[in-house]
Amino acid sequence: MFLSRFRVNTARPGARRLLSSPQAMHAAVMSSFPHILPSDSPQPEAPRVLWRLDQRARAEVLLYVVSPDRPDLTHLVEQAGWPAVADRENPGWQTRPYAPLLDRLAAGDRWAFRLTANPVHTVRRKEGEPRKLTAHLTPVHQMGWLLDEERQKRLGFRVCEKPAGRRLLPEGTTHHKHPHPGDRYELTIRDTRSLAFDKSRGPGARRDKPVTVVTVTFEGRLEVTDPATMRRTLTQGIGRARAYGCGLLTLAPATQPGHRAP
Amino acid sequence: MSHTGVLVLRLAGPLQSWGASSRFTRRTTESAPTKSGIVGLLAAAAGIERGDDTRLAPLAALRFGVRIDQPGTRIRDFHTARHGVTGASMPLSERFYLADAVFVAAVEGDQRLIAGLHDALRSPVYAPFLGRRSCPPAEPVDLGRYEETTLEDALTSVPWQASAWYRRRHRSPQTLTVLRETTATESTDAADVLRDQPVSFDAAHRRHALRTVVTTAVPTPLPAGDGSPHGTHDPFAALDDLENESA
Repeated sequence: MFLSRFRVNTARPGARRLLSSPQAMHAAVMSSFPHILPSDSPQPEAPRVLWRLDQRARAEVLLYVVSPDRPDLTHLVEQAGWPAVADRENPGWQTRPYAPLLDRLAAGDRWAFRLTANPVHTVRRKEGEPRKLTAHLTPVHQMGWLLDEERQKRLGFRVCEKPAGRRLLPEGTTHHKHPHPGDRYELTIRDTRSLAFDKSRGPGARRDKPVTVVTVTFEGRLEVTDPATMRRTLTQGIGRARAYGCGLLTLAPATQPGHRAP
Repeated sequence: MSHTGVLVLRLAGPLQSWGASSRFTRRTTESAPTKSGIVGLLAAAAGIERGDDTRLAPLAALRFGVRIDQPGTRIRDFHTARHGVTGASMPLSERFYLADAVFVAAVEGDQRLIAGLHDALRSPVYAPFLGRRSCPPAEPVDLGRYEETTLEDALTSVPWQASAWYRRRHRSPQTLTVLRETTATESTDAADVLRDQPVSFDAAHRRHALRTVVTTAVPTPLPAGDGSPHGTHDPFAALDDLENESA
Protein backbone atom coordinates (compact mmCIF):
# COMPACT_ATOMS: atom_id res chain seq x y z
CA MET A 1 0.00 0.00 0.00
CA PHE A 2 1.10 3.55 -0.69
CA LEU A 3 0.16 6.95 0.65
CA SER A 4 0.48 9.86 -1.78
CA ARG A 5 0.04 13.57 -1.51
CA PHE A 6 -0.40 16.01 -4.35
CA ARG A 7 -0.83 19.75 -3.99
CA VAL A 8 -3.37 21.17 -6.39
CA ASN A 9 -2.46 24.39 -8.19
CA THR A 10 -5.78 26.15 -7.79
CA ALA A 11 -4.83 28.90 -10.24
CA ARG A 12 -5.17 26.54 -13.18
CA PRO A 13 -8.41 25.91 -15.07
CA GLY A 14 -7.69 22.17 -15.02
CA ALA A 15 -7.62 22.24 -11.25
CA ARG A 16 -10.96 23.99 -11.12
CA ARG A 17 -12.53 21.41 -13.38
CA LEU A 18 -11.24 18.63 -11.11
CA LEU A 19 -12.17 20.35 -7.87
CA SER A 20 -15.67 21.14 -9.06
CA SER A 21 -16.56 17.56 -9.90
CA PRO A 22 -15.79 14.50 -7.76
CA GLN A 23 -16.62 12.47 -10.86
CA ALA A 24 -13.77 14.12 -12.80
CA MET A 25 -11.40 13.82 -9.84
CA HIS A 26 -12.25 10.16 -9.43
CA ALA A 27 -11.44 9.54 -13.08
CA ALA A 28 -8.16 11.45 -12.76
CA VAL A 29 -7.13 9.52 -9.63
CA MET A 30 -8.04 6.16 -11.13
CA SER A 31 -6.04 7.03 -14.28
CA SER A 32 -2.91 7.16 -12.11
CA PHE A 33 -2.79 3.38 -12.00
CA PRO A 34 -1.69 1.76 -15.25
CA HIS A 35 -2.92 -1.65 -14.16
CA ILE A 36 -6.48 -0.63 -13.37
CA LEU A 37 -8.75 -0.44 -16.39
CA PRO A 38 -11.86 1.75 -16.31
CA SER A 39 -13.97 -1.37 -16.69
CA ASP A 40 -12.47 -2.98 -13.57
CA SER A 41 -14.72 -3.01 -10.56
CA PRO A 42 -12.97 -3.58 -7.25
CA GLN A 43 -13.36 -6.88 -5.43
CA PRO A 44 -15.49 -6.31 -2.36
CA GLU A 45 -12.80 -7.37 0.13
CA ALA A 46 -9.68 -6.22 -1.74
CA PRO A 47 -7.78 -3.03 -0.91
CA ARG A 48 -8.92 -0.21 -3.13
CA VAL A 49 -7.97 3.26 -4.20
CA LEU A 50 -9.18 5.91 -1.80
CA TRP A 51 -8.72 9.64 -2.10
CA ARG A 52 -9.58 12.79 -0.21
CA LEU A 53 -9.23 16.53 -0.71
CA ASP A 54 -8.01 18.54 2.27
CA GLN A 55 -8.54 22.23 1.93
CA ARG A 56 -6.60 24.21 4.51
CA ALA A 57 -6.79 27.63 2.90
CA ARG A 58 -8.32 29.08 -0.23
CA ALA A 59 -5.33 28.19 -2.36
CA GLU A 60 -4.02 25.26 -0.34
CA VAL A 61 -5.73 22.11 -1.49
CA LEU A 62 -4.04 18.76 -0.93
CA LEU A 63 -5.09 15.52 -2.55
CA TYR A 64 -4.34 12.40 -0.51
CA VAL A 65 -4.47 9.00 -2.15
CA VAL A 66 -4.15 5.60 -0.51
CA SER A 67 -3.70 2.83 -3.07
CA PRO A 68 -2.46 -0.75 -3.46
CA ASP A 69 -0.05 0.27 -6.26
CA ARG A 70 2.38 3.14 -6.63
CA PRO A 71 0.51 5.87 -8.53
CA ASP A 72 1.81 7.95 -11.40
CA LEU A 73 0.24 11.38 -11.06
CA THR A 74 2.09 12.94 -14.01
CA HIS A 75 -1.16 13.76 -15.80
CA LEU A 76 -2.42 15.56 -12.67
CA VAL A 77 0.79 17.58 -12.48
CA GLU A 78 0.34 18.53 -16.12
CA GLN A 79 -3.29 19.56 -15.73
CA ALA A 80 -3.43 20.90 -12.20
CA GLY A 81 0.05 21.09 -10.76
CA TRP A 82 3.40 22.79 -11.41
CA PRO A 83 4.82 20.87 -14.42
CA ALA A 84 7.73 23.26 -15.11
CA VAL A 85 9.18 22.66 -11.64
CA ALA A 86 8.81 18.89 -11.77
CA ASP A 87 11.83 16.73 -12.59
CA ARG A 88 12.79 13.10 -12.08
CA GLU A 89 13.88 13.62 -8.49
CA ASN A 90 10.90 15.65 -7.57
CA PRO A 91 7.95 14.67 -9.77
CA GLY A 92 5.42 17.06 -8.22
CA TRP A 93 3.86 14.71 -5.71
CA GLN A 94 5.05 12.53 -2.84
CA THR A 95 4.44 8.82 -2.46
CA ARG A 96 5.51 6.78 0.54
CA PRO A 97 5.03 3.09 1.40
CA TYR A 98 2.13 2.76 3.81
CA ALA A 99 3.01 -0.69 5.07
CA PRO A 100 5.36 0.43 7.90
CA LEU A 101 2.47 2.23 9.51
CA LEU A 102 -0.05 -0.53 8.87
CA ASP A 103 2.29 -3.19 10.26
CA ARG A 104 2.97 -1.22 13.42
CA LEU A 105 -0.65 -0.67 14.39
CA ALA A 106 -1.34 -2.17 17.80
CA ALA A 107 -4.38 -2.29 20.03
CA GLY A 108 -4.40 0.63 22.42
CA ASP A 109 -2.53 3.01 20.08
CA ARG A 110 -3.89 6.53 20.11
CA TRP A 111 -3.88 8.63 16.97
CA ALA A 112 -5.25 11.89 15.76
CA PHE A 113 -7.42 11.16 12.76
CA ARG A 114 -9.16 12.85 9.91
CA LEU A 115 -11.93 11.38 7.84
CA THR A 116 -14.19 12.71 5.14
CA ALA A 117 -17.26 10.53 4.92
CA ASN A 118 -20.79 10.37 3.59
CA PRO A 119 -22.97 9.63 6.63
CA VAL A 120 -26.32 8.26 5.56
CA HIS A 121 -29.20 6.29 6.96
CA THR A 122 -32.42 4.98 5.49
CA VAL A 123 -35.86 6.34 6.21
CA ARG A 124 -39.38 5.37 5.29
CA ARG A 125 -41.39 8.51 4.91
CA LYS A 126 -44.78 6.82 5.02
CA GLU A 127 -46.23 3.37 5.61
CA GLY A 128 -45.62 0.78 2.91
CA GLU A 129 -43.03 2.84 1.09
CA PRO A 130 -39.62 1.33 0.43
CA ARG A 131 -36.85 2.67 2.63
CA LYS A 132 -34.94 5.52 1.07
CA LEU A 133 -31.30 6.49 1.53
CA THR A 134 -30.97 9.90 3.18
CA ALA A 135 -27.98 11.91 4.34
CA HIS A 136 -27.49 12.91 7.96
CA LEU A 137 -27.58 16.70 7.98
CA THR A 138 -27.03 17.86 11.56
CA PRO A 139 -23.69 17.57 13.37
CA VAL A 140 -25.25 15.60 16.23
CA HIS A 141 -26.61 12.99 13.83
CA GLN A 142 -23.41 12.97 11.79
CA MET A 143 -21.34 12.36 14.92
CA GLY A 144 -23.84 9.74 16.02
CA TRP A 145 -23.27 7.95 12.73
CA LEU A 146 -19.53 7.61 13.37
CA LEU A 147 -19.94 6.92 17.09
CA ASP A 148 -22.37 4.06 16.53
CA GLU A 149 -21.13 1.10 18.63
CA GLU A 150 -21.62 -1.45 15.87
CA ARG A 151 -19.87 0.73 13.32
CA GLN A 152 -16.88 1.40 15.54
CA LYS A 153 -16.53 -2.29 16.23
CA ARG A 154 -16.66 -3.02 12.52
CA LEU A 155 -14.01 -0.38 11.85
CA GLY A 156 -11.63 -1.58 14.56
CA PHE A 157 -11.28 1.66 16.53
CA ARG A 158 -13.05 3.70 19.12
CA VAL A 159 -13.23 7.50 19.31
CA CYS A 160 -11.59 8.64 22.56
CA GLU A 161 -13.65 10.27 25.26
CA LYS A 162 -12.68 13.68 26.60
CA PRO A 163 -11.41 13.88 30.16
CA ALA A 164 -14.07 15.28 32.47
CA GLY A 165 -12.06 18.46 33.05
CA ARG A 166 -12.33 19.52 29.42
CA ARG A 167 -16.05 18.99 29.04
CA LEU A 168 -18.28 22.02 29.01
CA LEU A 169 -21.71 20.54 29.64
CA PRO A 170 -21.96 19.59 33.32
CA GLU A 171 -24.31 16.62 32.99
CA GLY A 172 -23.08 15.63 29.55
CA THR A 173 -26.39 16.85 28.19
CA THR A 174 -27.70 20.06 26.70
CA HIS A 175 -30.36 21.98 28.57
CA HIS A 176 -33.00 19.90 26.80
CA LYS A 177 -31.33 16.84 28.33
CA HIS A 178 -30.13 15.58 24.97
CA PRO A 179 -26.68 14.03 25.20
CA HIS A 180 -24.21 15.93 23.01
CA PRO A 181 -21.46 13.77 21.49
CA GLY A 182 -19.24 16.76 20.67
CA ASP A 183 -18.77 17.46 24.35
CA ARG A 184 -18.23 13.87 25.39
CA TYR A 185 -15.87 12.67 22.66
CA GLU A 186 -12.66 13.94 21.08
CA LEU A 187 -14.52 14.54 17.86
CA THR A 188 -15.31 17.61 15.84
CA ILE A 189 -16.93 18.25 12.50
CA ARG A 190 -14.84 20.56 10.38
CA ASP A 191 -16.75 20.81 7.24
CA THR A 192 -20.08 19.77 5.80
CA ARG A 193 -20.52 20.05 2.06
CA SER A 194 -23.41 19.31 -0.24
CA LEU A 195 -21.96 18.30 -3.56
CA ALA A 196 -24.05 18.21 -6.71
CA PHE A 197 -22.41 17.31 -9.97
CA ASP A 198 -23.25 15.69 -13.27
CA LYS A 199 -22.23 12.10 -13.52
CA SER A 200 -21.59 11.92 -17.20
CA ARG A 201 -20.84 14.45 -19.90
CA GLY A 202 -21.06 12.09 -22.87
CA PRO A 203 -23.82 12.37 -25.51
CA GLY A 204 -26.95 10.45 -24.76
CA ALA A 205 -26.19 10.33 -21.06
CA ARG A 206 -28.93 11.09 -18.61
CA ARG A 207 -28.63 14.79 -17.89
CA ASP A 208 -31.80 15.24 -15.95
CA LYS A 209 -30.60 14.98 -12.35
CA PRO A 210 -27.19 15.68 -10.85
CA VAL A 211 -25.59 13.31 -8.35
CA THR A 212 -25.87 14.74 -4.83
CA VAL A 213 -23.59 13.72 -1.99
CA VAL A 214 -23.32 15.22 1.49
CA THR A 215 -19.77 14.95 2.80
CA VAL A 216 -18.62 15.57 6.35
CA THR A 217 -15.06 15.96 7.58
CA PHE A 218 -14.49 14.49 11.03
CA GLU A 219 -11.46 15.21 13.13
CA GLY A 220 -10.53 13.84 16.51
CA ARG A 221 -8.64 11.16 18.36
CA LEU A 222 -9.14 7.46 18.24
CA GLU A 223 -7.86 4.38 19.97
CA VAL A 224 -7.16 1.26 17.94
CA THR A 225 -9.15 -1.68 19.34
CA ASP A 226 -8.53 -4.30 16.66
CA PRO A 227 -5.39 -3.80 14.52
CA ALA A 228 -6.41 -6.23 11.77
CA THR A 229 -9.80 -4.60 11.30
CA MET A 230 -8.20 -1.17 11.54
CA ARG A 231 -5.81 -2.09 8.72
CA ARG A 232 -8.79 -3.01 6.57
CA THR A 233 -10.49 0.29 7.48
CA LEU A 234 -7.43 2.26 6.43
CA THR A 235 -7.08 0.48 3.08
CA GLN A 236 -10.74 -0.04 2.16
CA GLY A 237 -12.38 3.04 3.50
CA ILE A 238 -15.46 3.85 5.49
CA GLY A 239 -19.03 4.22 4.37
CA ARG A 240 -20.47 5.17 1.04
CA ALA A 241 -19.38 7.37 -1.89
CA ARG A 242 -15.80 6.11 -1.71
CA ALA A 243 -15.33 6.90 -5.39
CA TYR A 244 -16.25 10.51 -4.64
CA GLY A 245 -13.54 11.35 -2.13
CA CYS A 246 -15.22 9.84 0.91
CA GLY A 247 -14.12 7.14 3.32
CA LEU A 248 -10.36 7.73 3.51
CA LEU A 249 -9.24 7.78 7.14
CA THR A 250 -5.75 9.10 7.82
CA LEU A 251 -3.77 9.03 11.05
CA ALA A 252 -1.33 11.53 12.48
CA PRO A 253 0.66 11.42 15.71
CA ALA A 254 -1.57 12.37 18.61
CA THR A 255 -0.23 15.40 20.42
CA GLN A 256 -1.33 16.28 23.89
CA PRO A 257 -4.09 18.86 23.93
CA GLY A 258 -2.55 22.23 24.76
CA HIS A 259 -2.41 23.19 28.41
CA ARG A 260 -2.94 26.78 29.27
CA ALA A 261 -0.35 28.93 30.96
CA PRO A 262 0.67 29.54 33.67
CA MET B 1 -1.82 35.54 51.86
CA SER B 2 -1.84 31.81 52.41
CA HIS B 3 -3.45 29.60 49.80
CA THR B 4 -4.80 32.15 47.44
CA GLY B 5 -6.15 31.27 44.07
CA VAL B 6 -6.98 33.28 40.99
CA LEU B 7 -9.99 32.76 38.79
CA VAL B 8 -9.64 34.15 35.27
CA LEU B 9 -12.57 35.08 33.05
CA ARG B 10 -12.77 36.01 29.40
CA LEU B 11 -15.35 38.67 28.57
CA ALA B 12 -15.90 38.72 24.84
CA GLY B 13 -19.08 39.42 22.97
CA PRO B 14 -20.65 41.60 20.31
CA LEU B 15 -21.82 44.08 22.95
CA GLN B 16 -20.91 44.69 26.56
CA SER B 17 -21.87 47.47 28.92
CA TRP B 18 -20.25 48.11 32.26
CA GLY B 19 -21.89 51.00 34.06
CA ALA B 20 -20.39 52.31 37.28
CA SER B 21 -22.09 55.61 37.94
CA SER B 22 -25.00 56.06 35.55
CA ARG B 23 -28.23 57.53 36.76
CA PHE B 24 -31.56 58.26 35.10
CA THR B 25 -31.88 57.92 31.34
CA ARG B 26 -28.25 58.26 30.27
CA ARG B 27 -26.69 54.86 30.91
CA THR B 28 -22.96 55.08 30.28
CA THR B 29 -20.34 52.36 30.25
CA GLU B 30 -16.81 52.28 31.63
CA SER B 31 -14.09 51.29 29.21
CA ALA B 32 -13.47 48.04 31.09
CA PRO B 33 -15.54 45.62 33.17
CA THR B 34 -16.42 46.83 36.64
CA LYS B 35 -15.93 44.92 39.83
CA SER B 36 -19.62 45.10 40.64
CA GLY B 37 -20.38 43.62 37.23
CA ILE B 38 -17.98 40.70 37.65
CA VAL B 39 -18.91 40.05 41.28
CA GLY B 40 -22.54 40.11 40.18
CA LEU B 41 -21.79 37.63 37.40
CA LEU B 42 -20.06 35.26 39.83
CA ALA B 43 -22.78 35.67 42.45
CA ALA B 44 -25.41 34.91 39.82
CA ALA B 45 -23.50 31.83 38.70
CA ALA B 46 -23.33 30.67 42.33
CA GLY B 47 -27.05 31.29 42.73
CA ILE B 48 -26.79 33.99 45.39
CA GLU B 49 -30.07 35.89 45.54
CA ARG B 50 -30.21 39.66 45.11
CA GLY B 51 -30.88 40.54 48.73
CA ASP B 52 -28.43 38.06 50.28
CA ASP B 53 -25.73 40.48 51.46
CA THR B 54 -24.06 38.01 53.83
CA ARG B 55 -23.26 35.54 51.04
CA LEU B 56 -22.23 38.42 48.79
CA ALA B 57 -19.70 39.84 51.25
CA PRO B 58 -16.91 37.26 50.69
CA LEU B 59 -17.24 37.70 46.93
CA ALA B 60 -17.07 41.47 47.19
CA ALA B 61 -13.91 41.09 49.29
CA LEU B 62 -12.04 39.36 46.43
CA ARG B 63 -9.25 41.38 44.86
CA PHE B 64 -10.11 42.32 41.30
CA GLY B 65 -8.20 43.22 38.17
CA VAL B 66 -8.95 43.42 34.48
CA ARG B 67 -6.82 43.50 31.35
CA ILE B 68 -7.96 45.21 28.16
CA ASP B 69 -7.10 42.75 25.40
CA GLN B 70 -9.16 44.43 22.69
CA PRO B 71 -10.67 47.80 23.63
CA GLY B 72 -13.62 47.71 21.26
CA THR B 73 -15.67 50.67 20.10
CA ARG B 74 -18.06 52.73 22.20
CA ILE B 75 -21.47 52.94 20.59
CA ARG B 76 -24.56 54.87 21.60
CA ASP B 77 -28.03 53.44 21.38
CA PHE B 78 -30.97 55.84 21.35
CA HIS B 79 -33.37 53.55 23.11
CA THR B 80 -37.11 53.74 22.55
CA ALA B 81 -39.42 51.12 23.98
CA ARG B 82 -43.09 50.52 24.70
CA HIS B 83 -44.55 48.58 27.52
CA GLY B 84 -45.18 45.02 26.45
CA VAL B 85 -48.68 44.83 27.91
CA THR B 86 -50.13 48.34 28.06
CA GLY B 87 -48.35 49.74 25.02
CA ALA B 88 -47.43 52.90 26.95
CA SER B 89 -44.20 54.63 25.95
CA MET B 90 -41.28 53.91 28.25
CA PRO B 91 -38.83 56.73 29.01
CA LEU B 92 -36.48 57.56 26.16
CA SER B 93 -32.95 56.69 27.15
CA GLU B 94 -29.46 56.70 25.80
CA ARG B 95 -27.51 53.52 26.37
CA PHE B 96 -23.82 53.13 25.72
CA TYR B 97 -22.14 49.88 24.82
CA LEU B 98 -18.68 48.59 23.98
CA ALA B 99 -18.84 46.78 20.67
CA ASP B 100 -16.46 43.96 19.80
CA ALA B 101 -14.32 44.24 22.92
CA VAL B 102 -12.40 41.49 24.69
CA PHE B 103 -11.29 41.62 28.32
CA VAL B 104 -9.58 39.29 30.71
CA ALA B 105 -10.83 39.73 34.25
CA ALA B 106 -9.37 38.02 37.31
CA VAL B 107 -10.35 37.74 40.95
CA GLU B 108 -7.95 36.68 43.68
CA GLY B 109 -8.89 35.25 47.03
CA ASP B 110 -9.12 32.22 49.27
CA GLN B 111 -8.46 29.06 47.31
CA ARG B 112 -11.59 27.25 48.46
CA LEU B 113 -13.84 30.16 47.60
CA ILE B 114 -12.19 30.45 44.19
CA ALA B 115 -12.63 26.73 43.57
CA GLY B 116 -16.31 26.99 44.49
CA LEU B 117 -16.80 29.93 42.14
CA HIS B 118 -15.01 28.08 39.36
CA ASP B 119 -17.40 25.16 39.73
CA ALA B 120 -20.32 27.58 39.81
CA LEU B 121 -19.13 29.21 36.60
CA ARG B 122 -18.94 25.87 34.85
CA SER B 123 -22.48 25.05 35.92
CA PRO B 124 -24.14 28.41 36.56
CA VAL B 125 -27.48 28.83 38.33
CA TYR B 126 -28.17 32.08 36.44
CA ALA B 127 -26.48 32.46 33.07
CA PRO B 128 -23.62 34.98 32.89
CA PHE B 129 -23.96 38.16 30.83
CA LEU B 130 -21.63 41.03 30.01
CA GLY B 131 -22.96 43.89 32.10
CA ARG B 132 -26.49 43.85 30.69
CA ARG B 133 -28.86 40.95 30.36
CA SER B 134 -29.07 41.67 26.63
CA CYS B 135 -25.31 41.16 26.14
CA PRO B 136 -24.53 37.46 26.13
CA PRO B 137 -20.91 36.28 26.01
CA ALA B 138 -19.77 35.02 22.63
CA GLU B 139 -17.14 32.66 23.99
CA PRO B 140 -16.87 30.56 27.16
CA VAL B 141 -16.34 32.89 30.10
CA ASP B 142 -14.20 30.44 32.07
CA LEU B 143 -10.46 30.74 31.38
CA GLY B 144 -9.33 28.55 34.23
CA ARG B 145 -8.26 28.71 37.84
CA TYR B 146 -4.70 29.13 39.02
CA GLU B 147 -3.46 28.18 42.45
CA GLU B 148 -0.64 29.73 44.46
CA THR B 149 -0.31 32.69 42.18
CA THR B 150 -1.12 36.36 42.32
CA LEU B 151 -3.54 38.52 40.42
CA GLU B 152 -0.65 40.38 38.76
CA ASP B 153 1.03 37.18 37.57
CA ALA B 154 -2.19 35.78 36.19
CA LEU B 155 -2.99 38.97 34.27
CA THR B 156 0.55 39.03 32.89
CA SER B 157 0.70 35.45 31.71
CA VAL B 158 -2.78 34.58 30.45
CA PRO B 159 -2.55 34.40 26.63
CA TRP B 160 -3.73 37.37 24.61
CA GLN B 161 -7.43 36.80 23.90
CA ALA B 162 -8.00 39.40 21.18
CA SER B 163 -9.69 38.12 18.03
CA ALA B 164 -7.58 37.07 15.05
CA TRP B 165 -8.29 40.14 12.94
CA TYR B 166 -7.34 42.44 15.81
CA ARG B 167 -4.11 40.55 16.48
CA ARG B 168 -3.15 40.79 12.81
CA ARG B 169 -3.70 44.52 12.80
CA HIS B 170 -1.84 45.19 16.06
CA ARG B 171 1.06 42.84 15.65
CA SER B 172 3.86 45.24 16.65
CA PRO B 173 5.18 44.88 20.20
CA GLN B 174 2.99 46.77 22.58
CA THR B 175 1.50 46.65 25.99
CA LEU B 176 -1.95 45.90 27.34
CA THR B 177 -3.59 48.09 29.94
CA VAL B 178 -4.34 46.50 33.30
CA LEU B 179 -6.73 48.07 35.78
CA ARG B 180 -6.46 46.47 39.20
CA GLU B 181 -6.89 47.03 42.87
CA THR B 182 -3.87 47.98 44.91
CA THR B 183 -2.10 45.51 47.14
CA ALA B 184 -1.96 46.20 50.87
CA THR B 185 1.59 47.60 50.69
CA GLU B 186 1.19 49.68 47.53
CA SER B 187 0.79 53.45 47.70
CA THR B 188 -2.49 54.77 46.40
CA ASP B 189 -1.16 58.14 45.25
CA ALA B 190 -1.58 57.43 41.56
CA ALA B 191 -4.85 55.58 41.95
CA ASP B 192 -8.32 56.48 40.73
CA VAL B 193 -11.33 56.14 42.95
CA LEU B 194 -14.47 54.60 41.55
CA ARG B 195 -17.80 53.98 43.25
CA ASP B 196 -17.76 50.35 42.27
CA GLN B 197 -17.30 48.23 45.42
CA PRO B 198 -20.53 46.24 45.71
CA VAL B 199 -22.12 46.24 49.14
CA SER B 200 -25.62 45.14 48.31
CA PHE B 201 -27.34 44.10 45.07
CA ASP B 202 -30.77 44.34 46.73
CA ALA B 203 -33.21 45.28 43.98
CA ALA B 204 -34.85 47.87 46.22
CA HIS B 205 -31.65 49.58 47.31
CA ARG B 206 -28.34 48.87 45.61
CA ARG B 207 -25.34 50.18 47.45
CA HIS B 208 -21.75 50.56 46.32
CA ALA B 209 -18.70 51.78 48.22
CA LEU B 210 -15.60 53.41 46.78
CA ARG B 211 -12.62 51.43 45.61
CA THR B 212 -9.21 52.43 44.32
CA VAL B 213 -7.93 51.40 40.91
CA VAL B 214 -4.37 51.62 39.65
CA THR B 215 -3.67 51.58 35.94
CA THR B 216 -0.56 49.71 34.81
CA ALA B 217 0.61 48.11 31.60
CA VAL B 218 1.88 44.62 30.91
CA PRO B 219 3.77 43.47 27.83
CA THR B 220 1.42 41.74 25.43
CA PRO B 221 1.60 38.00 26.10
CA LEU B 222 1.67 35.57 23.22
CA PRO B 223 -1.75 34.63 21.90
CA ALA B 224 -3.08 31.23 22.87
CA GLY B 225 -1.47 29.54 19.86
CA ASP B 226 -4.26 28.73 17.49
CA GLY B 227 -4.34 25.41 19.36
CA SER B 228 -6.90 24.12 16.92
CA PRO B 229 -5.77 20.73 15.64
CA HIS B 230 -7.46 21.26 12.28
CA GLY B 231 -5.48 22.32 9.28
CA THR B 232 -2.38 20.74 10.76
CA HIS B 233 -3.39 17.15 10.23
CA ASP B 234 -0.44 15.59 8.40
CA PRO B 235 -0.67 11.87 7.63
CA PHE B 236 2.96 11.89 6.48
CA ALA B 237 4.07 12.81 10.00
CA ALA B 238 3.05 9.35 11.21
CA LEU B 239 5.30 7.73 8.56
CA ASP B 240 8.16 10.11 9.41
CA ASP B 241 7.91 9.20 13.09
CA LEU B 242 8.16 5.51 12.31
CA GLU B 243 11.24 6.07 10.13
CA ASN B 244 12.94 8.10 12.83
CA GLU B 245 12.28 5.37 15.36
CA SER B 246 13.71 2.62 13.21
CA ALA B 247 16.72 4.71 12.10
